[in-house]
Amino acid sequence: MTSPRFPIPQGTLDMLILQIVSLEPAHGYGIAQRLEQISRSIVQINQGSLYPALHRLELKGWLKAKWKQSETGREAKFYSLTPSGRMQLAAEKDSWARLTGAVQLIFDERGGA
Amino acid sequence: MRPLTNWFRRKKLERDLSRELHYHFDRRISDLERSGLSATEARRQATLELRGVAQIQEEVRDIWFTRWLRDVVYDLRFSFRSFLRTPSFTVTAVLSLMLGIGATTAIYSLVDQVLLHALPVRQPERLVLIDWKGDEVGTGFGSWNLMSYPICRDLDRQKQFFEGVFCRALIPVDLSTGGDPRPATAEIISGNYFPVLGVGPALGQVLANDDDHVPNPVAVVSYDFWQTQFGGASDVVGRKVLVNRHPLTVIGVAAPTFRGIDVGEVPSLWIPASESIEVLPIDANSLDNRRSHWVQVLGRLNEGMTLQRAQVGLQPWFKAMLQDDLGRAGFPVITPERRQRFLASSLQLTPAPNGHSSLRRQMAQPLWILFAVTVVLLGLACLNVSGLFLARASAREREIATRLALGASGGRLGRQLLVDSLLVAFIGGVLGIAIAPLAVRALIAFLPNGTITNALQAGINSRLLLFAFAAIAITGILSGLAPVWQSARRSLTSSLRERGGTSFGGVRLRKIIVTAQVALALTLVVGAALFARSLNALMAKGPGFITSSMVSFSIEAVRDGYSSSEGQRVVDRIDKALRESPTVQTSAVARFALLTGGSWNSEMTIFADRKIDSDGDVNLNAVTPRFFDTMGIKIVAGRNFNDQDVSTPDNAGFSTPDNAGYRSAIVSESFVKRYLGGRDPLGVRISQGTGPNVKPTTEIVGVMSDFSYRGIREDSEQAYFPFYESEHPAGTFYAKVRGTPESSFASLRAIVRDVDPTLPMTNFHTLDEQVNRSLNAERMLSTLSGSFSILALLLSLVGLYGVMSFVVTRRTREIGIRLALGATPRSAIWLVLRDALAMILSGIAIGLPFIWAFGRLVQSQLYQVKPWDPAVITVAVLALGLAGLCATLFPAYRASRVNPTEALRAE
Repeated sequence: MTSPRFPIPQGTLDMLILQIVSLEPAHGYGIAQRLEQISRSIVQINQGSLYPALHRLELKGWLKAKWKQSETGREAKFYSLTPSGRMQLAAEKDSWARLTGAVQLIFDERGGA
Repeated sequence: MRPLTNWFRRKKLERDLSRELHYHFDRRISDLERSGLSATEARRQATLELRGVAQIQEEVRDIWFTRWLRDVVYDLRFSFRSFLRTPSFTVTAVLSLMLGIGATTAIYSLVDQVLLHALPVRQPERLVLIDWKGDEVGTGFGSWNLMSYPICRDLDRQKQFFEGVFCRALIPVDLSTGGDPRPATAEIISGNYFPVLGVGPALGQVLANDDDHVPNPVAVVSYDFWQTQFGGASDVVGRKVLVNRHPLTVIGVAAPTFRGIDVGEVPSLWIPASESIEVLPIDANSLDNRRSHWVQVLGRLNEGMTLQRAQVGLQPWFKAMLQDDLGRAGFPVITPERRQRFLASSLQLTPAPNGHSSLRRQMAQPLWILFAVTVVLLGLACLNVSGLFLARASAREREIATRLALGASGGRLGRQLLVDSLLVAFIGGVLGIAIAPLAVRALIAFLPNGTITNALQAGINSRLLLFAFAAIAITGILSGLAPVWQSARRSLTSSLRERGGTSFGGVRLRKIIVTAQVALALTLVVGAALFARSLNALMAKGPGFITSSMVSFSIEAVRDGYSSSEGQRVVDRIDKALRESPTVQTSAVARFALLTGGSWNSEMTIFADRKIDSDGDVNLNAVTPRFFDTMGIKIVAGRNFNDQDVSTPDNAGFSTPDNAGYRSAIVSESFVKRYLGGRDPLGVRISQGTGPNVKPTTEIVGVMSDFSYRGIREDSEQAYFPFYESEHPAGTFYAKVRGTPESSFASLRAIVRDVDPTLPMTNFHTLDEQVNRSLNAERMLSTLSGSFSILALLLSLVGLYGVMSFVVTRRTREIGIRLALGATPRSAIWLVLRDALAMILSGIAIGLPFIWAFGRLVQSQLYQVKPWDPAVITVAVLALGLAGLCATLFPAYRASRVNPTEALRAE
């Protein structure tokens, strides 16, 4: 295999972005790097799909954005979580946990048979 | 909504996105360089990772504006450009819809203003008109729905049903703010008129509840009058106006939006009923007289009260009042049958959110008919545009097939076509809205009443815009339906297989459209022919008197401060001066003007072998002996009035022109036919009024030929009395002048000014003009439906021509083969004509039921022609068929000239 990393499952990118931004406001490049780090380069994220996702979340009102000076001194667009975004993140985490739990149960059953 | 707002700030969004992406890009490059890559390598790597900035931007734009909005915008741009590429198509389509939408909007403007629009008052839906249903014994003074002033006061006390009940009467007055008096309209009102309607003042105050109970010489002026006559002066309150020379003090200006409760006649001022005795030539005891009917009564229902409950609830009180009335002093002696009819009367409540208007009553039907006609015309225009689009679609076949092959979905293409038609409808509609005010102004000139020109507005308001845009949306969708349907049926493979220019796509649909157009056009043509026949019949019938070289004008001397006898002398002096003037050949005076829509009328008793009551009102007038001669009305039996008949009040004892006053009368031929069939009318005695105590006072001395009184349409029985026996100090002068009537106006005016420089002359017109004016509604119907039907005919002929040319082009090869195999050019012509005939004939067949329905709708507007008059329908069908064949001739000729060799070689 040329690439040991697997593509990110559909729909989880939004959740991951919300999670990253919930820690502290971040700009697009920062989020991209954080994603790389957090996933320890296991999950492959197409940087091209990051920006449409950010704008979609902003339009839904889960993120808000502000132009601020970044660590390099240049102005960057920083995203932060809105209250409704926080609620959405909690809901998604919850359903993710239930989904993985359920999948694990199925796996365990097969292993036991 | 968000996508739309984003669309309007897309510049800023784009700038921000570009900055954001550049930041990412630059950071990535510098990070990669730091990790040891060369500058070029880093740039390459970063570009690769982002997979193209342009694509990200596209994806983000889809999120901002939604895919849908972006597509629509692209569709619009595409449509717009493709329209610019085919200007003749675009112009035809836009013009069709401009005419359709413009005409519909213009007529709707009148429908809305005259028929639909609620009064600008508080909760207009609670207003009702209260009317007497049955025999209302007494005398009337005015137009419709008349009641007495005391009944209005009684009704106002029925507080369990009404918040309030007010009454009003529209009266023409001579009005002066200091200078010469001018004719104007005043509304006589009960004091609670403004409070009950909920209309306040713009300045000063309006009349309050009890302002009409005691003499109270005040007036409220309208906002328009204040602006035009007082120049909007802030100190108008307290100034005096002269109403029929009677001074009234202005106490306020009514709210600007309020223009009275009659859409057809806007009052200049409002006067409390208590002043009516002073300002009007009506009986001094009209205010207290329960048998004098001269006001319209309107009420505001209590909150939560329904019209039905109020109507039922009022009857016990009303019945009791009828019984009381019978016992009251001054109640006329009537026959037992009449008494029954009187006691069987009831009160009728009808919703009156848009007030009371005789214009509405008169124009409702013609306006609705015209509205229906324009809607049909708009439908035809839609069909036309549909046909044009189908034609264009077949010209664009290759383009569309290519787009399908490249992956466009059928829905996507359908939407493009819908956007096309909506765009055409929008452009056409906006142009239509732009021309609508001009059209409305022209329409208003058609309306029968002279005064209403200032009452109706030609401008565009929000309700009209709403209507126009609804029409645009519906039009756009309807014209797009056929092309969209057609494109949905298209299969990709067959489109690509067919060679350009051989497909028959859409022809059947276009034939159906043309057939429908023929049906609609035929309906409009027949309708227009019916109206034209009616108008012609009315014009041919004429008024029954001479109109050329005739001029008439009226004066109301008593309104201008004359006492009755002085006023009578003024009339006399003007009459004499006219006769002596060199401009006037001959002249006469009538107490009431002809052709105004109104008349002096009364029931009559005829003392023939036995006493006969007239079936209804007989139209009455009083005229000078020269009247018949001047007007060219023949005395067919007996004699004209002579000096004995015309004994003036001064030298004879007849100072009271009541029922007993007239000794002689001349009746019309139709009167004789109806009431004295077979008998010699001369010497028969008649009398005004009916009942046991009517005396045979008046002798018929002559019979006159029939002529029109109220209007040209009407043929009513008439009885004329001699003028000078009457004391009425008002009259309409009829003068036959030398030279053109218009050139005599100045000298006629001078004659009146010599007698009294300030006396206003009203209804100053030539008789030709009055005849024309009295046929205005008929002329409006005839002219407009005529022009609309010509438009409709043109639209359908264009459609027919288009389809047939298309068919011939598409069938060139087939025709070539036929000709090569020995068919004659004549048979080629027949091939084409047969197609066209099939469309025309089925269109006519479909049109017949429409004609029948339309005929039923317009029946009451017709004169001397049946709604399904076979001659009219035959002529219309022949004309349409002939025009249709003409439109097919050129394509058919082309078919016959096909050169077989060339047609086959072209393959």
